[in-house]
Amino acid sequence: MTYRPTFRKQGDGSRCQWVNCGPASQAMAAQRHRKGVDPRNNHGWPPMPPEIRNRVSPYGCGRTDMKELDAAVIHLYGVDMLVRYGISWSSFQSLIISGRGAIVQISYRVIAPTKYDASPGFYGNHAIFVNERRSSDGAYLVYDPLADGRRAGIPKGPQWWPASLLKAAAYAMPGTASGTVNASFTRDTEV
Amino acid sequence: MPDKKPYADPKAPKLTAPIEEHKKHAEEVLADEKHKTKPEDFPDTDEANP
Repeated sequence: MTYRPTFRKQGDGSRCQWVNCGPASQAMAAQRHRKGVDPRNNHGWPPMPPEIRNRVSPYGCGRTDMKELDAAVIHLYGVDMLVRYGISWSSFQSLIISGRGAIVQISYRVIAPTKYDASPGFYGNHAIFVNERRSSDGAYLVYDPLADGRRAGIPKGPQWWPASLLKAAAYAMPGTASGTVNASFTRDTEV
Repeated sequence: MPDKKPYADPKAPKLTAPIEEHKKHAEEVLADEKHKTKPEDFPDTDEANP
């Protein structure tokens, strides 16, 4: 069975909580990458969104991108992600099936009208962690850092998203080349 | 408005292919230099609603 990290919500009361989809997704990806094994250095374990945020921007709450998150977890946990752009959907599927998790950047505009919406009124650019694909129906196990069940009507992650929904949300991320996905992959943990 | 029509990747194995084929394809994709450069207009993430 594919290793599953602990779900981390971004709305954790920390100073940048509602801008922390990137650090929260990265925390889950880093735990997957190391299969939960503590690197035993002088940083905290397991990976937590505020620690990653503090490494990326110790004084502000700026928006994040995948490369700066990667740099943060290299320093904190010895986790070197593979940040890639313009990946075809078929190749993305193959990368997940082959044993990798991935942070995927999506447009929440696609999620908003669905039962998976975990931030009513939010239509912006978002980051999620995708852990695995289910072969029986092709759904993906998605860790949406907003899906914390904080009140009635807010789903609780992780959840199985239909492949068509994940694909549409990834395609709709602004700046993404036609019909492709931009994502940051963990190592193959299923070797 | 950019065309969002997906393009087929002829090298990608079928979903039902053996895991070894997926692992081989994954390594090839990850090694491809054209996927390593961030698009100039690719934005960061946004602030969500509580």
